[in-house]
Amino acid sequence: MHVLLGSFAFMCIFPFLYVIIISISNEQSLAENGYQLIPEQWSLDAYKYLWDMKAQVLQAYGVTIFVTVVGTFLSVTVISMYAYAISRKQFKFRKQFTFIAFFTMLFSGGMVPFYIVMTQFLDLKNTMWALILPMAVNAFYIIIMRTFFLRSVPEAILESARIDGAGEMRIFLTIVLPLSIPGIATIALFSTLAYWNDWFNALLFIDDPNKIPLQSLLMRIENNMDFIKQNAMLSNQNSAILKSIPQDSARMAMVVIATLPIALSYPFFQKYFIKGLTIGGVKD
Amino acid sequence: MKKIGILSLVLLLLTGVLAACSGGGSEKSSGDSTDEEVKLTWYMIGTPQKDTKDVMKEVNKYTKEKINATIDMKMLDWGEYNDRMQVITTSGENYDIAFTSSWANNYALNARKGAFLGLNDLMDKHGKDMKKLIDPAFLEGAQIDGELYAIPANKEVGQQAVLSFNNELVKKHNLDISNVNSIADLEPLLKVIKEKEKNVTPIATFDAYLPFDSILQEELPFAFRLDGNTDEVVNKYEEDITMETLKTMHEYYKKGYIQKDAATSTDSWPLETPNWFVRKEIYQPYAEDVWSRSAGYEIVTRELHEPYIFNNSVTGSMQAISATSKNPERAMMFLNLLNSDEYLRNLLDKGIKGTHYEENEDGTIKDLPARVENYNMPSFAIGNQLILKLYEDDPKDKWEKFEEFNKNSTPSPALGFYFDSNPVRTEIAAISNVTSEFSPALLKGAVDPEEYLPAFNKKLKEAGMEKVLDEIQKQYDEWKKKQ
Repeated sequence: MHVLLGSFAFMCIFPFLYVIIISISNEQSLAENGYQLIPEQWSLDAYKYLWDMKAQVLQAYGVTIFVTVVGTFLSVTVISMYAYAISRKQFKFRKQFTFIAFFTMLFSGGMVPFYIVMTQFLDLKNTMWALILPMAVNAFYIIIMRTFFLRSVPEAILESARIDGAGEMRIFLTIVLPLSIPGIATIALFSTLAYWNDWFNALLFIDDPNKIPLQSLLMRIENNMDFIKQNAMLSNQNSAILKSIPQDSARMAMVVIATLPIALSYPFFQKYFIKGLTIGGVKD
Repeated sequence: MKKIGILSLVLLLLTGVLAACSGGGSEKSSGDSTDEEVKLTWYMIGTPQKDTKDVMKEVNKYTKEKINATIDMKMLDWGEYNDRMQVITTSGENYDIAFTSSWANNYALNARKGAFLGLNDLMDKHGKDMKKLIDPAFLEGAQIDGELYAIPANKEVGQQAVLSFNNELVKKHNLDISNVNSIADLEPLLKVIKEKEKNVTPIATFDAYLPFDSILQEELPFAFRLDGNTDEVVNKYEEDITMETLKTMHEYYKKGYIQKDAATSTDSWPLETPNWFVRKEIYQPYAEDVWSRSAGYEIVTRELHEPYIFNNSVTGSMQAISATSKNPERAMMFLNLLNSDEYLRNLLDKGIKGTHYEENEDGTIKDLPARVENYNMPSFAIGNQLILKLYEDDPKDKWEKFEEFNKNSTPSPALGFYFDSNPVRTEIAAISNVTSEFSPALLKGAVDPEEYLPAFNKKLKEAGMEKVLDEIQKQYDEWKKKQ
């Protein structure tokens, strides 16, 4: 059993290990031999390369961290408040609001209307909000949190708080929230991951190189490589353009620095994570 | 409650109508004159550069003086340009100028869709200077049903595939490349390299060259012959020459001249790594010098055919004016400057004199580190290349050679014929699926054509090949009659 689990765990970690190995391989030996588990020559050139472009990388890092922190905070706030409201039976329009959230899970407007709303109605092109707002509310998490509030916050506690004279806001902040930490931590983890890994919104809305998040930077580099390789028309300019794009090992080094922090933060969430997810399965 | 709803709806509609009216009004008033200052939004392909802001400040000083307009250039990276422009076009966003071509932000498709303005009249009015400079083959070949929808960048008009060789290896083994005129002629050379050079892959993976003018994408089967009966559209995968060429490629593959994973590999074969012997490139005059410089060792070329003018080569790099533009006239004036004014063109391309480059006494230039690091622009995508300053190590007659090359290029039989694929959209989708399944492996020699070509053609037929060929032929005949 242990061997089985051990090898499964290894299979999960292996691709990432491989990425790390490539990131510290010598570029020349990569070009000649392809990817190897134990490269002929090791080298830290890729990290030196990243260090040379640290202004851009740090800028992207800053954007990612800002968007992740603000975005997670905002999305947890909005989601938990929305979910709490529709979980209370006293709330008159709870069915309507539940339906509004639920409806978006079945139908979406599609990319072009989304783009029009974001750029022409809200005028959010080239702003940080374009990276934060589209992912602030997630209907699925609202439903999860609603169930969580229904299950883990007994009506009786709220009743007694109300008798003691607490207002709705106070009940929510001092009684409901502390009781729901596992659920909120789970949502927070999901949001953090989503914000950290998002590149698509930046692809759509950000032209300003100073506002590109890390994952998007990585994605741009990958897309450029593919595009240039596929287009023979560019071949005259090819070498000049290709030179401006990081080589294999540098790209892998970038993957490492883009993934490591979020992977390392996982253990801190983990204890809530397990509790938060199982809670929905228990019948009381 | 209901009343308020209706009332607000009416109000909403009214404001909409009013807004539309005022929009129309301002459009008229802008007219020909340059009294009113305008800002033009310009979407360009290429990696955003650090110093763009500084350069654009200079550009705007100049354009403001000349045509009372400022330019807001937005660079979108290579890999995302296509997707971004598609969304921008479909959403009806207001912009003025955009890069378009056969390979990014598809020119013919967008022009047919009505995304770009027709430019014939505008160009006669405000584009006289550039009209004199741009090779007429560009202006004629890029017209769709008699109307030009974007201004082609003046550069090499013909397309010529060449084989380029790693000259170090050629010299080392005393090889004679002067007799190489086709892929088949490579055999003896490849053999030597395979035997004597362990660390070198003789062929840096490429698609076999086939002598056809392809309709739509290069790898799709519909094409016109360049020799023989050139008025008939054919499935190029059914032609004898294709079978022959692919057999040679497969022969090379079996002998180990091509990497084993050729069919699926996306290796870029960087020039700086001398682990290859021969590769296929698209040529322009003095390209070998450019390649040698970036490789760090000498590269020599042999042509595979005479230069041809294809639709793809005349629409290789263009600037279109958007149908949503509020100031099409000013946009045209800017494009005119961009393609005819040496100062502006060089400023956009090379950056600011003294900061990005130094000028020598004889008028040639030298890059400063700032240009390489912070302002490396895709020269060919911006505009007229033939008015650019020469580098000190460029041959003096570089642009004359370009003009000569253009003069010697032969128009392909289907130059100027743009196929409207709407009537057979479903068939083309099916055919392109089949093609992407078979063509990479076949063209790179990884599979036996005697076995796979017939299978490929059978599947193509099932996907509706005949119907598409008929439609192309019909449209081609109609187009031909009007010529």
